[in-house]
Amino acid sequence: MSPWVEKYRPKNFLDIKGQEEAVTKAKKFISQFNIGKLTRGMKKALVFHGPPGTGKTTLAHVTALENDSEIFELNASDLRNKGKLHEILRPAMEQQSLTKKNKLILVDEADGISSVDRGGLSELISLIDTTTYPIIITANDIWSRKLSALRKKTEIIQLKEINYNIIKDVLFEILRKEKLFLNPNIITSIAIRAKGDIRAAINDLQSVSRLKDPSIIEFHERNKEVDIFNALKLVFKGKPTKETLQIFDSVKMPLDEIILWVEENIPNEYSGVELARAYDLLSKVDVFKGRIYKQQYWRFMVYENALLSFGISSAKQGIKTGFTSYKKPSRILKIWLNNQRTAKKKSIAKKYAKLVHVGHKRAMNEFPIIKQIIKSNPEIQVELRLDADEIGYINKII
Amino acid sequence: MVTKIWTERYRPSKFSEVVGQDEIIQRIESLTNSLNIPHLLFAGPAGTGKSTLALIIVKELFGDDWRESYLELNASDERGINVVREKVKNFARTKALGKVPFKIIFLDEADALTPEAQQALRRTMENYSATCRFVLSCNYSSKIIDPIQSRCAIFRFKLLEKKDIEKVITSIAEVEKLTVTPEAMEILYEGSEGDCRRSINLLQSTASISPSINENLMSTVISNAKPKDIKIVLDYALSGDFQNAREKLLDVMLKESISGQDVIKAIQKEIWNLPVEPEIKVKLTEKTGESEFRIVEGSDPFIQLQALLASFVLAGLGKE
Repeated sequence: MSPWVEKYRPKNFLDIKGQEEAVTKAKKFISQFNIGKLTRGMKKALVFHGPPGTGKTTLAHVTALENDSEIFELNASDLRNKGKLHEILRPAMEQQSLTKKNKLILVDEADGISSVDRGGLSELISLIDTTTYPIIITANDIWSRKLSALRKKTEIIQLKEINYNIIKDVLFEILRKEKLFLNPNIITSIAIRAKGDIRAAINDLQSVSRLKDPSIIEFHERNKEVDIFNALKLVFKGKPTKETLQIFDSVKMPLDEIILWVEENIPNEYSGVELARAYDLLSKVDVFKGRIYKQQYWRFMVYENALLSFGISSAKQGIKTGFTSYKKPSRILKIWLNNQRTAKKKSIAKKYAKLVHVGHKRAMNEFPIIKQIIKSNPEIQVELRLDADEIGYINKII
Repeated sequence: MVTKIWTERYRPSKFSEVVGQDEIIQRIESLTNSLNIPHLLFAGPAGTGKSTLALIIVKELFGDDWRESYLELNASDERGINVVREKVKNFARTKALGKVPFKIIFLDEADALTPEAQQALRRTMENYSATCRFVLSCNYSSKIIDPIQSRCAIFRFKLLEKKDIEKVITSIAEVEKLTVTPEAMEILYEGSEGDCRRSINLLQSTASISPSINENLMSTVISNAKPKDIKIVLDYALSGDFQNAREKLLDVMLKESISGQDVIKAIQKEIWNLPVEPEIKVKLTEKTGESEFRIVEGSDPFIQLQALLASFVLAGLGKE
């Protein structure tokens, strides 16, 4: 007996529920690929991205089936191993399929390409450049930095979390086919707890279907990953609830980075009293962060987390509506840009610092005073062994 | 070659030349004379003589060859404790020659090290205590972990008093043939904030324009050396434009390499000139003090300052 997730995996576009938009786009891509092999500038690869259990791999397989294609499946580690890659792809490139008309390359779970080892990713990109067959890639998080090069080369289709009503319908349909009956309340609760993950829902359903008294079951909620945009939306727009309290736990990002995201986006949502309250709380988050660091007492993280989620959420009156496009933290980038700009100043400050027994950070701080001293005295410029560029810099500044 | 940088040229090289810190000088001088010094921890604000005193100690101990037996490191400049450890290791490997049985390692800005790095430092101090003495300097001894504090003799340096700064400036002015009016001296002292290095730098900077230094010249130089844009940051905040205030703040801090503490200082002084009710001024001052406290304790200055700006926005709206 195969697991229900396999048994009831959709076999054609019509069976796929709750992803109409993605299905339409996938159809369009494949039909364009068939006619338009010749059109220049057309993207040859498609990315399905979305949370687990929303049908990425299924949609890829169905797309192949509906297009009468043979699938060549690669995973992240194949891409790193050139020998293996060619072994898989050689039949695709050289032989005519016996039964199928077309071919399709599937790269499943591209998130697995490690960010340390760039080889896999560049191999994938060169594969996209050279392929004469359509490529479908699945990924949980296409916005992760390591995949940025990939985004430019591909058409991106998002698969949304599946609405719980649709999940419920699918579960009822399966029960009907299995000739089983379950209390509808249990079905509803499975559907809600799945949080858009239909695979999880079907697995849960199968696990309770044979119980005599399924109502005793307690489902263990899966820890579901939320992307930072959704988490921010929940915090900034929604009412503070127990769920808000845990929202940042499910974001796969270090808390320090989340703090930067919140910091950047508070003024996009709040103003006046709300703004002041929110930043006040954020400043306390930062205080707890410092305490953890200083005392190595990690329980303070509870407070850091609670103030950052529930706290910031509670800074507003009621709820907020409308769409806000959240910005990436810009501070780190600005610091970097500034470092580029002040490289000369820094190299002068370093030379100066060494001579006068101070740290070069302090020399940077005192630069407004010392620049005049250095500028007006060529002997000091010699003493500091400034090079021509540095002398140019010091003479230019006012 | 004699240096043209006055902070170096006029740096005292004997105990008797040091101005201020009388009590500390006495204690250190007697320790040095006994040729047996423990590890030392110098705590105090910038420009109060910590590095100078460390240099005097080694010059007294080792005479003209002091460079052989002295290693100077700056914790906030070195890339991590491992670099520090490596340098210490190489330096400490050879034994000191001559009558003094140890070498001296001066670690400036030791409070820039994280607590973990300080733990590692403590091990290093122990491992090499037979051949080396450490002189640590820091702004805040509270940022130094207890085990290190307990291994050191602690000396707290105070800001220089007005008479001390005046003495230093007057003696330099004499050699450099400058005239400094009493009013200019007053402004110079205020601008120096008790930091001797800063006062000498300000003097040299002003003297590079003219040898006769009056009130006007002095205050022009000081205000040129001061960050101007902080007022703009506050103006934005008070007019309710938080976004611009925030942007400008980051700009100022980055472009002019101004530390969070300097921004706070400027804000704190500006409060009294704001067009708001007295009780709001008091509240803002309290908030500013709290922010400064947190920054000193090691919080992220930019986050703390943003929170402070947000309360200035409220004050501007008359809601605080």
